[in-house]
Amino acid sequence: MAGVGLSWPSKLTHRPNFTTSSPSRSSSGCSSRCAVKMTVTVDEKKTTFTLKKSEEAFNAAKELMPGGVNSPVRAFKSVGGQPILIDSVKGSHMWDIDGNEYIDYVGSWGPAIIGHADDEVLSALAETMKKGTSFGAPCLLENVLAEMVISAVPSIEMVRFVNSGTEACMGVLRLARAFTGREKIIKFEGCYHGHADPYLVKAGSGVATLGLPDSPGVPKAATAPTLSSPYNDIADVELLFETNKGEIAAVILEPVVGNSGFITPKPDFLNALRRITKENGALLIFDEVMTGFRLSYGGAQEYFGITPDLTTLGKIIGGGLPVGAYGGRREIMEMVAPAGPMYQAGTLSGNPLAMTAGIHTLKRLKEPGQYDYLDKITSELVQGILNTGKKAGHAVCGGYISGMFGFFFTEGPVFNFEDAKKSDTAKFARFFRGMLEEGVYFAPSQFEAGFTSLAHTSEDIQRTIAAAEKVFKQL
Amino acid sequence: MPGGVNSPVRAFRSVGGQPILIDSVKGSHMWDIDGNEFIDYVGSWGPAIIGHADDEVLAALAETMKKGTSFGAPCLLENVLAEMVISAVPSIEMVRFVNSGTEACMGVLRLARAFTGCEKIIKFEGCYHGHADPYLVKAGSGVATLGLPDSPGVPKAATAPTLSSPYNDIADVELLFETNKGEIAAVILEPVVGNSGFITPKPDFLNALRRITQENGALLIFDEVMTGFRLSYGGAQEYFGITPDLTTLGKIIGGGLPVGAYGGRREIMEMVAPAGPMYQAGTLSGNPLAMTAGIHTLKRLKEPGQYDYLDKITSELVQGILNAGKKAGHAVCGGYISGMFGFFFTEGPVFNFEDAKKSDTAKFARFFRGMLEEGVYFAPSQFEAGFTSLAHTSEDIRRTIAAAEKVFKQL
Repeated sequence: MAGVGLSWPSKLTHRPNFTTSSPSRSSSGCSSRCAVKMTVTVDEKKTTFTLKKSEEAFNAAKELMPGGVNSPVRAFKSVGGQPILIDSVKGSHMWDIDGNEYIDYVGSWGPAIIGHADDEVLSALAETMKKGTSFGAPCLLENVLAEMVISAVPSIEMVRFVNSGTEACMGVLRLARAFTGREKIIKFEGCYHGHADPYLVKAGSGVATLGLPDSPGVPKAATAPTLSSPYNDIADVELLFETNKGEIAAVILEPVVGNSGFITPKPDFLNALRRITKENGALLIFDEVMTGFRLSYGGAQEYFGITPDLTTLGKIIGGGLPVGAYGGRREIMEMVAPAGPMYQAGTLSGNPLAMTAGIHTLKRLKEPGQYDYLDKITSELVQGILNTGKKAGHAVCGGYISGMFGFFFTEGPVFNFEDAKKSDTAKFARFFRGMLEEGVYFAPSQFEAGFTSLAHTSEDIQRTIAAAEKVFKQL
Repeated sequence: MPGGVNSPVRAFRSVGGQPILIDSVKGSHMWDIDGNEFIDYVGSWGPAIIGHADDEVLAALAETMKKGTSFGAPCLLENVLAEMVISAVPSIEMVRFVNSGTEACMGVLRLARAFTGCEKIIKFEGCYHGHADPYLVKAGSGVATLGLPDSPGVPKAATAPTLSSPYNDIADVELLFETNKGEIAAVILEPVVGNSGFITPKPDFLNALRRITQENGALLIFDEVMTGFRLSYGGAQEYFGITPDLTTLGKIIGGGLPVGAYGGRREIMEMVAPAGPMYQAGTLSGNPLAMTAGIHTLKRLKEPGQYDYLDKITSELVQGILNAGKKAGHAVCGGYISGMFGFFFTEGPVFNFEDAKKSDTAKFARFFRGMLEEGVYFAPSQFEAGFTSLAHTSEDIRRTIAAAEKVFKQL
């Protein structure tokens, strides 16, 4: 059963409701998975899928934390049903506390690109932590990861590590304003750049998921300089630059959107943004917190061949620990304290444990063939899902680039957030819950991209497509 | 990396001399990459209160990580740490975990504004609440260290609602409430300042703030990112017996990993998404590894006698340093509460940031570098508090005082 890398018993056409190991498996020294307390009930006939423990734990959580969670999308509000609590992850799989096993396409929202709990990363962490998890002072590992990031990402000549994508996007905004002396920024509807006040305007991710227009508690003055534009609409951007001449500090975007679901830039969109910003003395900022080291080793900017002025990173570069980063042209980055006057700090920034996780994750990604592999399995996955969906008569569209994908329950094509919102989110919710019961975990929101990893096997993909086939028919 | 560091104070700009890169830490000690050993009074800026790289914490981390370092979904460990925090901290009935003190203070500000419908906040000069735009007004920590008035890139509109007041000046706070009647969302402060160096509240200061905010329908926010679980298990609010409406935490609750938190009255916290409409999210928030580090750190702190021990050794340390300094003829003052301390190169007393700035920072710099060469690592800035830990021994303290005696004579 649920050992690392073992697949479901192939004779079963459904996922049995079991969770644990037999004594023989335990004694064979299998992974910690087997040692976890779980109940033994292998029932080949029923497809009972229970989330009883998750329910208990989540009810307790709701008393302790707002909505029972530390990040809104985890509460399953837009898909309904009982949110699940996770016990463990490994490779491409995830186990909840009721012992249900899932093929995971959330990957902790992006970090897990080489697979969850990679043995090599874990042993590097175990080694590093003996020397301390945080120094509050510089360490060599920062230099190592910095060099890796700088040599990988075309726009980055100098980098600052922080503790999250939110911190990275905050820092980069202040920097862009400091460098240009201007205040206004252009962002795109449905894009999400963390939750600093100026970005909470027509934001994607959980804001879109919960249908929030703005967040209360954000002063109008904080968002007034934020100009919002529909994704993929160059004419609108040109108009904004016309009507705000000399006032725009930067354009920031997800070069491939992941926070409204998966939306790719139209062929000339990024190029045009590069041209327009240059013409207007504004900075082009790629928020590659999701796409960095995912679309290719050099990120979206390498994939598309467009070099922004500044870039934000996160998720993957932390290898499963909290890390963010922003970087770009040297002359801009030299404004950041203590080199320059733009203030930004962080107690845990650059801590040796997080640096280690990032270093080993990037090392693995740099090996030949990794992105070809991601392209191959994600292609199979997306084709399979779209085909089975259409075959069952559903309006569904989607796509992928490397290890990032998405699909919408709408005819499509989807070029922007308004298009994405045409999706039948009620149907998505039913699809999500159906797949969950089949042992496949997608993001619990239509407005989030999906992620594959080097640990996802063809077997995983095939089982996912088989499950989708079944669920689509029931929808 | 800008300035060679990922956080400004690490570059030693205000003390001069070569910044050091660390190779390892353990207990109360630190080794740089040249192999120099130091007794460490920075403790990674607060998290290391039970000592660096505690064996029990490391073992728990090694075990937990096998099951994954991040899920992006809820896990039981979040419930566990949440319960510990809620039962420990008087004001906290409900808590949200985030990834840093900066994120916690950002979240709590948006929440206070959402709850009250007001925008203005009062903060105190020299206090530091992370680097979100609205807080970069007369801020402490690295901003003070680098002598920055404000940061470029911060729109005036972002800081206009931030009213700054001198610490320990209740009359000024009363005046601000008078002249901004019904417009103030909250008062936020470090209940004991650590980011201008160590400054304690005057006897009635916190009480008066509690009264004034209550009278005016504003929220009182204690930024306990430094003082939480440090002044006592329940933090400054327990130590002083004053209960704010909201509290921010960080450092210690992450046990050496990046964690922050904000919490408070249930009716306020229920505004936070997804329970309510106030948005705040985080991919790595509540991750099992960080939760584990926090849980085991708090467990250790809850054992009997821990805060008595901290009080005892920190008392020895501070007395020893001040005596040595004065004996050598220097103007020096300072103090401590539990495992947090500080001293200034000035006659004192120091009640606020203006007083702190009277400190002879050039002398401090020489003291810092002298002590470094004697194998003692203080914060490379006059405007940061110092921290002891359960791992600091009497021997550590004695060696520190002996080193201080030597260095003070040379200054």
